[in-house]
Amino acid sequence: MIKKILIVDDSPIARKMLKSCLPKDREYEFHEAGNGLEGVNQYKELEPDITFMDLTMPVMTGYEAIEEIIKIDTKAMIIVVTADVQMSAIKTVLDSGAFMVLRKPIKKDQILGALDKAMDTKEKGAQV
Amino acid sequence: MSEQATDILSSDEVDTLQEIMNIAFGQSASDLSEVIDTHVVLSIPFIEFVKVTELHTYIQQHVKEYSKISIVEQKYWGKFKGDALLIFASGAGRELILLLKNDEQGSLEAGSAEILESETLLEVGNILIGACVGKLAELLNDIVTYTPPMVLVEEDARNAVPANKFDPDQTAIILKTDFNFEQGGATGFLFLVTKNESVVWLKKALQLFLEQYE
Repeated sequence: MIKKILIVDDSPIARKMLKSCLPKDREYEFHEAGNGLEGVNQYKELEPDITFMDLTMPVMTGYEAIEEIIKIDTKAMIIVVTADVQMSAIKTVLDSGAFMVLRKPIKKDQILGALDKAMDTKEKGAQV
Repeated sequence: MSEQATDILSSDEVDTLQEIMNIAFGQSASDLSEVIDTHVVLSIPFIEFVKVTELHTYIQQHVKEYSKISIVEQKYWGKFKGDALLIFASGAGRELILLLKNDEQGSLEAGSAEILESETLLEVGNILIGACVGKLAELLNDIVTYTPPMVLVEEDARNAVPANKFDPDQTAIILKTDFNFEQGGATGFLFLVTKNESVVWLKKALQLFLEQYE
């Protein structure tokens, strides 16, 4: 089954970098948003399997977007991909319901590991 | 006054540099937050090209809301070279002393208030500039060395960066982010003024960086 992936980041290059790190031998349907608000709106419309979320963005930050998405779907699988790796930032987003935090610049093996873990957790959750 | 960034770098190169700056500023905020134990809030980095002869006016426009500012300056050079200017709003030094005192009871007690303020700004400046420029260089596969940081404390904002400070034949790449601290009212911004002789190298380095993600 094709998995829907939503990438929320204000930087087009960061979105491109992330997409390039995803395994090519699997089928994904990619969707992109340039700020937190667009991300929340696309989440409502698409119900993606996995959402990659930046934190420092215009219009609506990733912190706010995560809170909004979790209000819509408490089981949302949100992987934060951020340059802001302060402990306080990591704690805030994990407390808000993000699944995992990855530090920029991202690496292929990191993304693959996070994706597999998130998919696995989502599937186990669906079976319960 | 400013040139369009895309006149010198392609839009992809500007986007890439902006993302690299985002990562570099994130690293510097993380390093500093560990020392002062408070969250450092960063804005989205901003890139602009300015003729060096107009840099004095440009910086003045960005500090016009403050009558007094403090500046930490550090020069760096490798293939990527320039000046890092960390500009704090008035009172930032005293705010930072309070934040640092939480972690280092007693170690900042000695000395006069002015020396303490100057040393605190130097220390914070050194951490922010070193982490930011160091990460930027690392991501672009460069090695940079630094001069020791210098500090100007509570200077008149109109005269703190003299018009003749930089080589007039150069174009400066302004890489700027605003920051403030979640606890305490210290605010400021970090400029990296990079000479245009770094542009040829920078274009190539950005290309190589992007190739990792092709």
